Amino acid sequence: MSSAQLLRSEAVYYVDLAVTGITFGCMYAMMAVGLALVYGLLRILHIAHAAVFALGAYVTVLVANATGSVALGFVAAILVTPLFGMTIYRLLYEPLLKYRPDVPMIASVGLLVLMQDAFRIGFGEQGVTFHRDVYDLMTVDLLGVTVNAVQIAIVIAAAVIFLGLHLFTTRTRIGVAWRATVSRPKIAASFGVDPIQVRYLNFALGSALAAIAGGLVALLNNLVDPSIGYVVSYKALAIIVLGGLGSVRGTLIASLVLGLVEAYGTIFIGQWLDRDAIAFLALIALLMVRPQGFTGVRTA
Amino acid sequence: MSAYEISVISVIGINVILAVSLNMISGFCGQISLGHGAFYGAGAYAAALAMIGAGSVPLALLAAAIVGSVLGIVVGFTSLRVRSDFLAVTTIGVNFLFTGFVRKQHWLGGEMGISGIPGSGLGANGNMLMILLFAAVTVALSLYVNHSWMGFAFRAVGEDEDAAATLGINSAAYKLAAFAIGTALAGLAGGLYAFFTQFITPDAFDFILSVMLMAMVVIGGIGSTWGVVTAAIGVTLLPEAIRFVSNYRLLVFGGLLLLVIRLAPGGIAALIRSVAGSAREP
Amino acid sequence: MLHRKWKTSTRPMNLLMGVAAVALSLAMAQPARAEIKIGFQAPLTGFAATDGKSAEIAAEMAIENINNAGGVIGEKLRLIAYDDQAKSDQAIFTANKLIGEDGVKLVVNGSYSASGRAAAPIFQNAGVTTIVAYGVHPDITLAGDHIFRLVHLGPPQGRATALFVAKDLKLKNVSTITMDNDYGQATMDGFLEASPKYGIKVINKYSYSLKDRQFGSIVASVKRDNPDGIYATGYFFTAGPLVAQLRAAGIKAPIIGSQAFDSQKFIEIAGPAAEGTYIVDSLDRDRNDAALQKFFAEFTKRAGYPPESVASVVYSAVKLMADGIKRAGSADPTKVKDALAETKNFPMLEGTLIGFNSLHEIIMPISVNVIEDGKFKFFAKLGDLDAFAPPEK
Repeated sequence: MSSAQLLRSEAVYYVDLAVTGITFGCMYAMMAVGLALVYGLLRILHIAHAAVFALGAYVTVLVANATGSVALGFVAAILVTPLFGMTIYRLLYEPLLKYRPDVPMIASVGLLVLMQDAFRIGFGEQGVTFHRDVYDLMTVDLLGVTVNAVQIAIVIAAAVIFLGLHLFTTRTRIGVAWRATVSRPKIAASFGVDPIQVRYLNFALGSALAAIAGGLVALLNNLVDPSIGYVVSYKALAIIVLGGLGSVRGTLIASLVLGLVEAYGTIFIGQWLDRDAIAFLALIALLMVRPQGFTGVRTA
Repeated sequence: MSAYEISVISVIGINVILAVSLNMISGFCGQISLGHGAFYGAGAYAAALAMIGAGSVPLALLAAAIVGSVLGIVVGFTSLRVRSDFLAVTTIGVNFLFTGFVRKQHWLGGEMGISGIPGSGLGANGNMLMILLFAAVTVALSLYVNHSWMGFAFRAVGEDEDAAATLGINSAAYKLAAFAIGTALAGLAGGLYAFFTQFITPDAFDFILSVMLMAMVVIGGIGSTWGVVTAAIGVTLLPEAIRFVSNYRLLVFGGLLLLVIRLAPGGIAALIRSVAGSAREP
Repeated sequence: MLHRKWKTSTRPMNLLMGVAAVALSLAMAQPARAEIKIGFQAPLTGFAATDGKSAEIAAEMAIENINNAGGVIGEKLRLIAYDDQAKSDQAIFTANKLIGEDGVKLVVNGSYSASGRAAAPIFQNAGVTTIVAYGVHPDITLAGDHIFRLVHLGPPQGRATALFVAKDLKLKNVSTITMDNDYGQATMDGFLEASPKYGIKVINKYSYSLKDRQFGSIVASVKRDNPDGIYATGYFFTAGPLVAQLRAAGIKAPIIGSQAFDSQKFIEIAGPAAEGTYIVDSLDRDRNDAALQKFFAEFTKRAGYPPESVASVVYSAVKLMADGIKRAGSADPTKVKDALAETKNFPMLEGTLIGFNSLHEIIMPISVNVIEDGKFKFFAKLGDLDAFAPPEK
């Protein structure tokens, strides 16, 4: 290969890695934002969010296979998961709010263990895949970098979601009321905002977003198995902490940072640390430098 | 006593040490630690290497406790930097860093782990007794600390750091002490585990284990030594007790965990207190 | 008062008690006609439940088929199965339970290496003859002579792959992708060790974790490597996404996968991307063997999916144990052990088991399949037994 070709192939390689990182990041962002919403409002580490995400993924595939339409799969998932999420709040968290946050967290863990086994028993150990005629992988070639259609969909979806959330919380009445309840609950209440409704909205919204993330991951992997939520259960926690105090914007930044760190890190230091270790090393290092996270406010 | 019973009791003993030591850090001192498995694992690997290298049981156990404690103090320092919820995630990170590092190191056995660890020479029965002895020591230590000035300082730091400062308590020093003691015991438990199985892999010390240990602390009643002991025994025995449900074990386990927390959020300790309290009423 | 009541009805009472005693001893005599208990460990729950389910169904099928044909040495077999979640401590508990509470003397281990490694020493010490169906870690048979393994060890599988890649596919520059667990690493180690001998140059080595389904960085790197071929170890749930993503990135080089790729699910996940993938030590489904075809049909009906290597080898393990009992003429574990050690040309679902070596590892050729038209097709049989001979004692 000539040196020009060599240079080009190297450049393509680094761009390839960047695309991978950004896709991971957008995926993580959508998985984690639901968790950030719950944490911001209730200070609970909603580990069972992983089960909501998994449910969204399963529903997307099963409905898509049954109806032949991936779009319908997504619609079904977005309708089902908010119900699940709000039920978790009502039955699990609301009665436990007055205890130390470890308590609802462990309840959350119990629910996740139960749901993962329920998925195994209900949908099979091997998991579910899209039927061939329902969905097929499509790729696009951009200057030598091959990107698959789902990766593009993930980035677009993330952009739309985060822009949407931003507009929602700054331009709409409900959104502003929600934001006020998160940061100044008492003042918001005194303005007539019903904190209970805000909570339900919170869980509904976060769960619906998890469903979208789940459906997209299902498309990306073409496999939904009972363990699909596991990585979400701890990575998403890391992301919202790195983002800073349940901030939505912080979640996006932290997700992208983590995605890129993983994409490059697994290649360069993959001999000494595995992927999760690399992610957490970055997290800890960044937290040591900035203990309040990217967008958090220094309290100590 | 059958081999099965001996093996189950041995694991119960190890889990008691782990849960009670975690309780000191997270229960007494309020420092949420979701990475206790890392100290347990560090101790196990230290004991394995020491045993293969030097062949001395006391040395191996000492090495285990020391390595666990050193790692714990390092993590303790990070706890000084970040606020409590962030600490939870930082400790998760420590756990993943530990397993993620160990499984890539050939000298630590990598994915295959370390097998053929020389036995303690005590036999299965002897191992079990050794484990139970250390478990008893751990419980005694925990009870003693709880009633001592150190325990008081721990609780003060755990509940309200600023108020503790007004009492002249150096919260940083006490946090580090809590980590040092708790992780030394976890490391010791790791050494005992290495003698029990005589073969260790990184998977035995993962995040899932750490979460289960925290579950034992919460179910027992955060801060209550006896509650946590009971919970440790119960949570370890539960999968064995529900073996007849074979295919649905995890379902039942998760469900029970959920139910217990939901119905007794203060844990077994709170449950007992309320029963004892209502028993006193005429 | 009670006393008097009893005394007045002594005679009829005695008669009744006598009849009851005879009836009871007749009833008790029934179960005393022994069954032979076969202990069984498999990961029925937990991360390995996929293989655990296959293993359980296969074992149950084998027991039923044997019993329906009249059992072994005039007795029926009974499977005593426990879930070990593929974890060491659970394997220890269940091993002790089988030996102690259940009094089992013959065991088939249908679980992963973590279980086999922990349980093997316990079975050896108790003199329990054990056939480990598919745990590949070298330490398992080192536990002692009561332990037999019915699958090729990791390193020999890797060595056979190197031979296959060099001699049959004639590829030189290879990128390797290892799944980071004992199975994946052990197999890859064999490949890496044998590669130089066959003139294979490993351009780069990559690895991923059991939980990964997204391989963007590895795919980008392999693309840059531009190898003649790619060798990857993994289970179907990592292999499917990996192969799909490699092909989606425009990589055309042939992909050679390890034994655990062998599952219908792999083809379902990767779809058209799976075409042309070679799988080494894969189940040869094309064999004109009535027993294999019958097994295939029955298993698919029971499980809802077609059987793979795991199911086949567990089925064969139970059959082999029964055969060992028959040849030994007894269920005594030491006699069965000796009979098993002398096994010659035993028909397994995978093919003919030539025999066991001194370490009780199998001597058997390795089949290679290729995916064609969405199906597993036989491609080659590696018969150079010396090239991938397992270690001796």
